[in-house]
Amino acid sequence: MAPDDVEGRDMPGLGGEHGADGDPMRGKDVRLDKVSIRFGEATAVHPTDLSIHAGEFFSILGPSGCGKTTILRTISGFIHPTEGRVLIGGEDMAGKEPNERPTALIFQNLALFPLMSVAENVAFGLEARGIGKAERLKRAQELLELVALGGFGDKKPADLSGGQRQRVAIARALAVEPSVLLLDEPLSALDLKLRQHMRTELRAIQRRVGITFIYITHDQGEALAMSDRVAVMSRGRLEQVAEADMLYADPATPFVATFVGEQNVLRGRVATLAGGEAGVDTPVGRLQGRTSGTLSVGDEALVMVRPERIALAGTGENSFPARLVSRSLEGPSVNLDCAAADQQFMVTLPNGPAIRELPEELSLSFGRQDALVFPVGALANG
Amino acid sequence: MGSLARAYGKPLATLIALITVIWILALILVPLGAMVQQSLWWRDAKGSVSLTIDRLYNDIAVLELDQGNATDPAKKAAIEAQLAAKQAEVTELEAQEKNPPKTYGFANFTRMSSLHFYIFVRTIIYALMVTLLALVVCYPVAYVVALASGPRKAVILMVCLIVPYAINELLRVYAWLMILDYRGVINGILGWLGIVDLDNRGWIPFLENPSAVFLAMIYTYVLFMVFPMVNTLETLDRNQIEAARDLGASTVRIHRRVIIPHAKPGIAVGCIMTFMLSAGSYSVPSIMTRGQGGDWFSQLVYRQFYESNNWNMGSAYAVSLLVVCTIFILIMMRLFGVGLRDIAK
Repeated sequence: MAPDDVEGRDMPGLGGEHGADGDPMRGKDVRLDKVSIRFGEATAVHPTDLSIHAGEFFSILGPSGCGKTTILRTISGFIHPTEGRVLIGGEDMAGKEPNERPTALIFQNLALFPLMSVAENVAFGLEARGIGKAERLKRAQELLELVALGGFGDKKPADLSGGQRQRVAIARALAVEPSVLLLDEPLSALDLKLRQHMRTELRAIQRRVGITFIYITHDQGEALAMSDRVAVMSRGRLEQVAEADMLYADPATPFVATFVGEQNVLRGRVATLAGGEAGVDTPVGRLQGRTSGTLSVGDEALVMVRPERIALAGTGENSFPARLVSRSLEGPSVNLDCAAADQQFMVTLPNGPAIRELPEELSLSFGRQDALVFPVGALANG
Repeated sequence: MGSLARAYGKPLATLIALITVIWILALILVPLGAMVQQSLWWRDAKGSVSLTIDRLYNDIAVLELDQGNATDPAKKAAIEAQLAAKQAEVTELEAQEKNPPKTYGFANFTRMSSLHFYIFVRTIIYALMVTLLALVVCYPVAYVVALASGPRKAVILMVCLIVPYAINELLRVYAWLMILDYRGVINGILGWLGIVDLDNRGWIPFLENPSAVFLAMIYTYVLFMVFPMVNTLETLDRNQIEAARDLGASTVRIHRRVIIPHAKPGIAVGCIMTFMLSAGSYSVPSIMTRGQGGDWFSQLVYRQFYESNNWNMGSAYAVSLLVVCTIFILIMMRLFGVGLRDIAK
């Protein structure tokens, strides 16, 4: 194994902590080194550097067609990068076929073998390695117990429910003792309730086996709920790699800001710049917000505020009058649809008695720490 | 019928039922019944009635000539008496010839000569070999076609499979005849290379070997093997192949454990079709062997009908072949664990 020359960013201990008890499964780190992937003229992935730590639950989040599945298939070996290298555990994967890599892939449709029993499915990887029948069925049984399907070995995949099939697919992938488990939107076919349940389940399984999980999804809820870190992708480029909390609180680009969670977006022109803050002239007046850099006075800019950061009271800075158009009850919270200077505003407030008696004319306000100012760029919703 | 009437209304339902009945009658019951019925009876030919009649007519003609030439009245009377007797005999025999007594039984089946039975068994074995060879040839083709996609697939399908089959079956067989003939394409090339001496009849007699028939037959029936397999292979989720590969399975194992089990119904249908077509093929063996490579059973059936003029025997032969083919279908379905429903898919 080549010495790991990535700056001391990997998190020692995560793998060891959870994959203890002499479990042979150990997470390995995955590194993309200037990987780009082109199909003929079309570029699926622009040159990308990415470092995924050993034993980490890492998600790649992005809209369909952003190149996230291409990256996953490149790591698994079904696609070879046009340029750049894929390293797993420090080892260059160039020229290695999927079966020679320490990875296992869980397909979006799971791709269970419908004509084999559940136990045979799970044991298939061991069968391919020439392990005897008794031994591999015993191992399959252990894995089925790990995913709480102990009594289902003799059933056919078609006899199981969606969530059970899901777990069979996980057991089948774990059977080959991969260091990295790659999951290609495996929950997308499940209904909402089951999906939420499986999130917890997946996270728990990952902790139990301690290997690296790389999870592809277009569902931000899944990515935020399960992952240690999340990469947001758009149009073949990584927009941001960060912990889930940071992604929400401190988006690096307008795309991430609008793709993860809701945003109110206002266009304007930068009027003042001082100490990491910008004042932007917008249709509702001058608004103050945080900014991270590249703007200069006179540039066009976007001001973004999350709906739950807007308050109904207040005057002075970052406040403006608005008209209440409609409201919809979410249960614990209420969404107000407001309009100010031909601009639509979404305001989310905790539900309570005061909400029922709102006047039609409101005053909206937010703190300058709650607003983000970006240069004009691509947004998630067009 | 009740649900049909509810769905389409009475008149239309009646029409559909009627068409179904006509279909079953015209395509299945009547021809099959006629064949089976024909095979179950024969007419006892006492001596050869037709030959006797022919002889009697000869005699009558001679007697009539004599009668014309005779001058002696006594002799003339004697000839007339003879004539009358012969006429009466002819009338009686002709009645017998027109309507000989039918006898029912299985004699048509048991009367098969040992040579014919040998040809029968050999034909079945040959047909099995053709089926097996066609399967071996067609599986990779079907796999490639089924997994190809987009314009590539259309090209493969058109150029390799559809275009050859736009040509009449007989012409395709004749094409192979031309290739394999004594002075055909292959012998011509070999002669040009100096390997065989065509001038002194030193050619390689490809056509005298049963494999020439096999070759032409596989070529002729390839489509019937390929298409059912393509159809089932197309429904295979490619992720399953990738999943198996990702789990470390070798190509052979992927085929054995994932692809072939999935393709089973298609393989069964392809084998059944190819077997039935080759076991019953008349044109291919008769064109390819030209009587030099041994008959196939279908040629015997043809002879019973059109050369021996013994339709009863011919029917019995045909029914025997049908029974064997049916047994083959059942064995294949059992062997591949597919039901009629899978095949219908």
